[in-house]
Amino acid sequence: MPCALLGDRASGKTTFLGLLYSAQVKYGTGVQDDFRFHAPLQSLNVMSAVYEGMKDGRFPSATLKEEITELGFIFGYLRKVVGKLPYYIRKQNWARPFSTLRFSAYDVSGEDIEEFIESGIASRPLIQQLLKSVVVVVLVDCSKMTTEIDTPAYKKMLRYDSTVAKLLVSFQTYKKQEYERLKESGVKPEPPVIYPAFVLSKFDNLRDDVLARLGLHQGFPQDKKARREYAEALLRVFVPQTLSQIRGGKVAGVNMDKAEYFLSWVRTETQEGMDPVGQPRIVRTGFRPEGGGEPDFAYDEYVHFIEHFRHIAHKIPDEILEAEKFQAEAAVRTA
Amino acid sequence: MPQVVIVGDRDSGRTTFLGLLYVAQVQSGSDRADRFRFHSTFESMEEITVLFQRLMSGGFPDSATKEGIREMRVHLGYRGRGRGVLSRLRSRAWSPDSVATFRFILSRTLDDEVSGFLHGSSVANGRLSDILEGDAMAILVDSTKLGVNGEEPPEGAIERYDVAVEAFLTAIQRWRARGGRSRVYPVFVLTKFDGIRPEVLRAAKVDDSPPQADRTAERAKYGEALLGRNLPKTFKKLAPGEKGGLEFARPTYFFSWVRTEAASSGRPGKIRLRRTASFGWEPDYSKEEYVALLEHLWGVGTRTPR
Repeated sequence: MPCALLGDRASGKTTFLGLLYSAQVKYGTGVQDDFRFHAPLQSLNVMSAVYEGMKDGRFPSATLKEEITELGFIFGYLRKVVGKLPYYIRKQNWARPFSTLRFSAYDVSGEDIEEFIESGIASRPLIQQLLKSVVVVVLVDCSKMTTEIDTPAYKKMLRYDSTVAKLLVSFQTYKKQEYERLKESGVKPEPPVIYPAFVLSKFDNLRDDVLARLGLHQGFPQDKKARREYAEALLRVFVPQTLSQIRGGKVAGVNMDKAEYFLSWVRTETQEGMDPVGQPRIVRTGFRPEGGGEPDFAYDEYVHFIEHFRHIAHKIPDEILEAEKFQAEAAVRTA
Repeated sequence: MPQVVIVGDRDSGRTTFLGLLYVAQVQSGSDRADRFRFHSTFESMEEITVLFQRLMSGGFPDSATKEGIREMRVHLGYRGRGRGVLSRLRSRAWSPDSVATFRFILSRTLDDEVSGFLHGSSVANGRLSDILEGDAMAILVDSTKLGVNGEEPPEGAIERYDVAVEAFLTAIQRWRARGGRSRVYPVFVLTKFDGIRPEVLRAAKVDDSPPQADRTAERAKYGEALLGRNLPKTFKKLAPGEKGGLEFARPTYFFSWVRTEAASSGRPGKIRLRRTASFGWEPDYSKEEYVALLEHLWGVGTRTPR
């Protein structure tokens, strides 16, 4: 199942992917062995370079644009029933032991997407692939959250809100068109669903006065309902169009109600409370039996993020699986 | 899809009105209560988001924005409401019956297009036929231009507008004589209501502020007292009576204002922003009126045959 990552310029997309990769490596090598991941060679080259840099305390300087247009992982989640089977059955391919989810970050412009929906002609095949996404991950840069209306940050956030809202409407429109097309061709498709996931990036840079004004405490809650309320309180103020279009999916016939919220932060070095000169450096954890020398980041949130997709991967509509299978076969034939 | 045609005189605030209608939707559609939801269609997003950004930054629509925006298409829904008894019983549900889809059309050249049609020109312009096919008409009236009984209206602007709206209603009547929707819902929106002259209110013998939105009969009296003498031809046209199969519903009234900060030398006036309940920002405008208007239009949408 495809999954798309949307984020503003300098919202921390590459850092997010680097930290996700870091969490995948750690989580995927745990004792339980119920999560595995795979990355195509090109993506692996980029991600391992980013990962190495982070382990060396450096933020990634390279953006997706300079590297490749699609950066992807395949997440594999051990199916519950299969997990209980004897080992020798579990390891057989016919048992399909893992539900998979293709997680991809794309470097395409909003204009290209809009042009495709208007004309039906994609300037790049990647756009259609992106629009097939069932999971849409939206990065919201908390460092840009300000309640001072005459600041560039306020205006940037207004623009970003419009951009994301437009993209979400593009996704909804595409899904609805596909649904109608399938219905007309005699197929009985499931009503379209998109699973949005919001990542509040650079959460450690969210100013205390902003939280205080909104009546929010500093820590992100654990309880699912409380997390939603906390995150929505921020989105309501800073990206209201996005939030309203997520909710509005329901009245447009594309359910986006299953939104989930995560946060991301990575600790940086400070010198006695002063801001560092130049690019900040990442704080790394000490060496412990379970690993060490890793960036000090919101690991639990990233695991939560990975685990969230387990539920979605198990729920993939059949027609998407069929389409993916068909695509894979077509790719083999072309090769 | 029900069509709402927005008509108004030059500088009556048509684009600002459409923008504030979108602002009200965004805010109601993202609030904690989650009672109202809306979805803007793909075709409308580009222009309406630009307008939203402008209003939320305290700016009135500039000429480029005005030129760019022609219409807005939205789906509006209220939780637990619908035509069937079941949908009303399921108070937490979003049933398809609770959703109405609208096309808001900004009319630009009321005088030119309509008079051409009335003088025998054929309707070659699809836009004019869209306007004439409207299910509801939001008739914007600039409150600052309203005159007192017996007084020469300022520059005769409101008199000319009355003639233009009457001509528009006549055009609708002629167009519908060929068939089509038989009922039209007129909605008067008194824009810039905070700038209405006190003597106009006194002459109409009404309070400074209109009755609450849910007191429709009192509001109708209030609105008629203010507009009846200023738009006599329009009101005559809207009066009940045989109109060749066309029926105008009883007009409803809404009041729009947006607080501004005084223009300084070389700088245009700005919209004043205020804190929202959730500590964000919004234009300081008559939000309740816009929320009530949306609810009214939703009702029109659910009553209009699909």
